[in-house]
Amino acid sequence: MHKISRKGLTVWRLYGVLQTIILLIIAALVCYGTYYFEWPSFIYFIAVVVVILSAILSAYLFPKVRWERWRYEVRESEIEVQHGLFVVKRTLIPMVRVQHVDTTQGPILKKYGLGNISISTAATVHTIPALVMEEADGLRARISELARVAEDDV
Amino acid sequence: MMSKEVNRLHPVSAIISSAKALKSMIFPLIVIIITNGFHFSFNIHSDNFWRTVFLFGIWGVGAILALVSGIVKWRTFVYWFEDGELRVKYGLFVKKKRYIPFERIQSLNYNEGIFHRLFGLVKVQVETAGSKDRKPEVELTAIRKDAADAIELEMRRTKNKTNEQTNDEQMSNEQSLTEEVLAPMIYHMSIRDLLILAITSGGIGVVLSGLAAIISQLSDIIPYEKIFDELADFAKIGVFLVVLTVIFSLIVAWFVSFIITLINYYEYTVRTEDEKLIITKGLLEKKRVTLPLNRIQAIRIVENPLRQLFGFATVVVESAGGNGGEGNDKKIALFPLIQKQDCLETLEQIFPDVNWRPEFIHSPNRARPFFYRIDFVWLVPIIGACSYYFYPYGLLSLLLIPLTILIGNWQHKTAAYMIDGKQLTMQYRVFSRITFFMEKKRIQSIGTTQTYFQKRKNVMSVKATVMSGMTGMTGNVRNLEQQDAETIVSWYEH
Repeated sequence: MHKISRKGLTVWRLYGVLQTIILLIIAALVCYGTYYFEWPSFIYFIAVVVVILSAILSAYLFPKVRWERWRYEVRESEIEVQHGLFVVKRTLIPMVRVQHVDTTQGPILKKYGLGNISISTAATVHTIPALVMEEADGLRARISELARVAEDDV
Repeated sequence: MMSKEVNRLHPVSAIISSAKALKSMIFPLIVIIITNGFHFSFNIHSDNFWRTVFLFGIWGVGAILALVSGIVKWRTFVYWFEDGELRVKYGLFVKKKRYIPFERIQSLNYNEGIFHRLFGLVKVQVETAGSKDRKPEVELTAIRKDAADAIELEMRRTKNKTNEQTNDEQMSNEQSLTEEVLAPMIYHMSIRDLLILAITSGGIGVVLSGLAAIISQLSDIIPYEKIFDELADFAKIGVFLVVLTVIFSLIVAWFVSFIITLINYYEYTVRTEDEKLIITKGLLEKKRVTLPLNRIQAIRIVENPLRQLFGFATVVVESAGGNGGEGNDKKIALFPLIQKQDCLETLEQIFPDVNWRPEFIHSPNRARPFFYRIDFVWLVPIIGACSYYFYPYGLLSLLLIPLTILIGNWQHKTAAYMIDGKQLTMQYRVFSRITFFMEKKRIQSIGTTQTYFQKRKNVMSVKATVMSGMTGMTGNVRNLEQQDAETIVSWYEH
């Protein structure tokens, strides 16, 4: 099964960094408030811990684990996705069941030529994050091809 | 044959739609009255006279508009048959037209409210595959019963015509159709079953929360101080009375739900006709719901512990849309209450291709701890807290441990699956035992989950989702043998 593109990991790290920066700004404001209004001093401690935790977890650890554990495969007649570290989830979606494919792409994903792909069946939605756009387009083309063959009514 | 004559709704429909509009005006009226704290007066010398006139004037104009709109709707609404289509036109200034080909009509649902029954009328809801968002495509507020029959006749005539044009394969289909018409009545709920259904109805919670909502709504009107004084006395008399009141209100709630169930499910009958299931029910308000067989996605047999004890079950049908605007979901209780044995026979009759007597492969013995072990994560802190803070009596919370283990064992005993050709059957329980029958081609996706601990013991959980209304319905068997879980996935793959 395929891994998410290496660029995906970079994007997730970037998200983590952005989140940490936002937290840092908030923490700075809170610290300033603490200094100015003389709130209890343990607030400094909490602010620092939150920022450091966010830096470690959301900028380093989580993207890494997520990237290493995500697997997907688009085969001739089905799509398989698998993710999760402690609880491993595996899902199988036959191509004929797929109703439509959505791509969402924020500015960062776009810069790296990636997109989040949502695959919708009549009842469920499955997302593959940070897929290379060419692959996403190929997937969409294949599904529209197969959709014409599918005959069973849902 | 085409009839181009234009049909109208029955005049009573003007009253019905006006009444409906007026009903939605009652709530604003209540709000007006309450927000003004009952300071109303029709005495011209009173300070409140002009305000009263003003507020009621606004409301009155609204009410008159509602009445007029009902009459306008009745006067302008016409429908007719043309070119194998049901055509509808309405609107005073903005004319709206809607053409529905008869082949596209999934179901005609009839609904007779009390008003309708006085005049021998029905409300007809026309549903197509597209009418997903709970609303029927077209609603004829009130027409004569024979007019409703005329629509149905016209529809069948058109469908037959198209059938004749297609090949022999269709013809043989049609023969099987005529065979099925011979055995129309599939199920009729006896009075005894109806009573049992009403007694064991789970609607108690709903009614209770309804009562609570009403009471909280009334809090503006009820004088608080008086009640608090009385409450103080209440406390003096003791907890006993409080308990008594709670029990009494529970009984009242149960009784209300008992009556509601009786009225809703009175004369519950299921018939088959033309590849369709026709459900009729109701005492005061008669309902007729049509359910095309090819829209059925999966079937669940649900046995809640109480009913399982007496060998009763509920059969629920997951359908892909079109259930007569019953509410927000597309789950239809095909048989609200039926003896398990009868139920299997009846289901065999309706769906002969399905294996209704599965031989299950069960969850392995070593998987048993997984059914209750995870619960200790939240149980232990709760028990710890209870025992610590309410020292002597809090220790009773320790009883939760054997209880959880018992329920876990029960769930383990139930967890099972079977694959038979194109059919997957899952059996599992939280409290009620659910047996979920689904066809391979109806399953939208299959997923497995495995935790770290499950992996060490080669155990895996399996989920299968079918379409049902907007969201889908998922069957979930926990902790099967890993090999079995993989068998299900590869069965689905090929």
